[in-house]
Amino acid sequence: MNTEGLTRQERQLAEMLHRVTPEPPRGLSTEDVAARVASQAGPRQAGSHQRHARLSPANRGWTRKWAPVLAAASVFVVISVSAGAVVGLTSHHSPAPVRGSRPTSTGPASSPASSPSPGQTSVGPSFAPKTVAGGIWGTELINHQKPPFTQDTLAGGADSLYTLAPGYLDRIKPATGQVVARVPFEAAGTEPPVVAGGTVWVVSSYTDTDVVLEGFSSQTLASAGSVRVPVTGQLAGTPSGVITSGPDGHLYVAAGSAVAVVDPGHGVIKTIPVSAGPVSSVAVSPDGAKLYVSTGSFELLTYDVATGANTGSSSAQGIGSFIGNLVATAGGVWGTVGVGMSEWTWFAPNANLDQLIRASQAVGAGADSVPTYSGGVVWLAGSTTLECVNPDTGQKLASVAIPTDSGVLEHFGRVTVTGGGVYAYYSDAKANLAGLAALTDTPAACSG
Amino acid sequence: MRLLEVLPVTLPADGSPVEPAGFRDFVQARSNALLRSGWLLTGDWPSAEDLVQTALAAAWPRWDTLVRQDAPEVYVRKIMVNTWLRWRKRRWNGEVATARLPELRAYGDVFAQVDARQALIAALDRLPARQRAVVVLRYFADQTEAQTAAAMGCSVGAVKSHASKALARLRDAPGLSELMTGGVAS
Repeated sequence: MNTEGLTRQERQLAEMLHRVTPEPPRGLSTEDVAARVASQAGPRQAGSHQRHARLSPANRGWTRKWAPVLAAASVFVVISVSAGAVVGLTSHHSPAPVRGSRPTSTGPASSPASSPSPGQTSVGPSFAPKTVAGGIWGTELINHQKPPFTQDTLAGGADSLYTLAPGYLDRIKPATGQVVARVPFEAAGTEPPVVAGGTVWVVSSYTDTDVVLEGFSSQTLASAGSVRVPVTGQLAGTPSGVITSGPDGHLYVAAGSAVAVVDPGHGVIKTIPVSAGPVSSVAVSPDGAKLYVSTGSFELLTYDVATGANTGSSSAQGIGSFIGNLVATAGGVWGTVGVGMSEWTWFAPNANLDQLIRASQAVGAGADSVPTYSGGVVWLAGSTTLECVNPDTGQKLASVAIPTDSGVLEHFGRVTVTGGGVYAYYSDAKANLAGLAALTDTPAACSG
Repeated sequence: MRLLEVLPVTLPADGSPVEPAGFRDFVQARSNALLRSGWLLTGDWPSAEDLVQTALAAAWPRWDTLVRQDAPEVYVRKIMVNTWLRWRKRRWNGEVATARLPELRAYGDVFAQVDARQALIAALDRLPARQRAVVVLRYFADQTEAQTAAAMGCSVGAVKSHASKALARLRDAPGLSELMTGGVAS
């Protein structure tokens, strides 16, 4: 550090910046940059960067490190001479994904409501299961397509898993890890798909004026319509879980200082104003009676779904920022605080932040630590331990330490149960490996 | 903005771009420092990595020229700052002007480091973008006033002005005064 010529206060500032600024959780490799150079003609560059730029830059950026090396013959990097910065990219290859376009599903594209035939042709390659993370809980990587799907975007349906990969919405067959339906789609940010009835809903636009959801058939991924939700006031700056579904099949969408209740067949049927400010995350209690919302100032509010009345609120100070990723259980609310390497999971019994319990260690490597409520238990993942816990009390039911790969963190995220199997996002930055993992030997205690 | 310059990046048949000589050594030696600067600008690691990758990818096609000019790092930092300023202008990255800033805890607490970092980022979030850029370039990246001015495309006087205002704001930010005087264990 060179403090020559600085005043005392400037020197104190410089020393503090050097002292407090942490070391990055992982270094950057030339291969990362080469992948970026090569992939700048890739599907994420379809003009959506500006349009959907407000959603979760953190996770979007982290995903990019896995960008594919495309076999394009020539890429043109457009550089602003005045700013010396990349401002746009173009290519003669890799046509842009089109939102709502017909899927490349094996189902007949002309009949979007049709069910797939047994033995339908896979659109993705098959992978031999690969044991990873020391095989904890029988972990096998069953899909490691390039680029992998985006962390935080794994969602489960009745017999399928859904993921958002850069430029695509995929339906994955859990038993094999194969992508069995794919539709070009540019998601706004990294909100996971929400499955309601026979439709998969994803956020396609998140702007100052509206939030737009696109629906796709849960089987064929054929377009099933869209819903536009007007924004009230200002949007949350750090959205993390702005769409969820209730047991009544309705969707709940955070759209600024209000939550819209959407009947997929009829559009917005109710708007619940949230006076506390922009809503960063929403969750609905398992019985559908209560709506929980978080705001950027670390408040957790409870609303009566039937009346829209605010029935409770609590706040917490001094534990961090960026509350989000709410999950509601009968016993309370789970969520996260922080982003990237400082993110950790909490449990608020009875939705009361005064009783907040820290449920997980801070995750590392820029990865998430989003809790999921699936298969009757809450799953806590990350880079330290993989756990299943009692959804109502927070009591730990089973836990296993996540090993490192030669000192580099391995990561599990969004554990999801479907069809009797347990699945998770998995990444190993050291091996430059990421994808869908099957946890084939979870403890009986995690069976809910 | 001036006219755009189009720099072709030729990829061989296998799709992997040809690595410029010396690029790998630079990345190995300087990426941590660049990432830390990126973290101070953006407030999180994923965005920091995105920013640094963007800058390095932009430097890639003109790397040989930059090396001849002995200015690779200056150029990369310039791209980082200007890219970030444009991000700020074009998209709002989630800086929320919260009424409640994280409180610093008693120390020895295992969360103290995280709290200190969050207090720092919260304070930086409250700075106007150009003031924040000056803080990072001038006081973290050890750039001179002239280098900072060149990177940001402004005058040395403007850098001094931004620095002065930023320092005043940071002094008043909750928890920062203690951090600046070493009150929190690192």
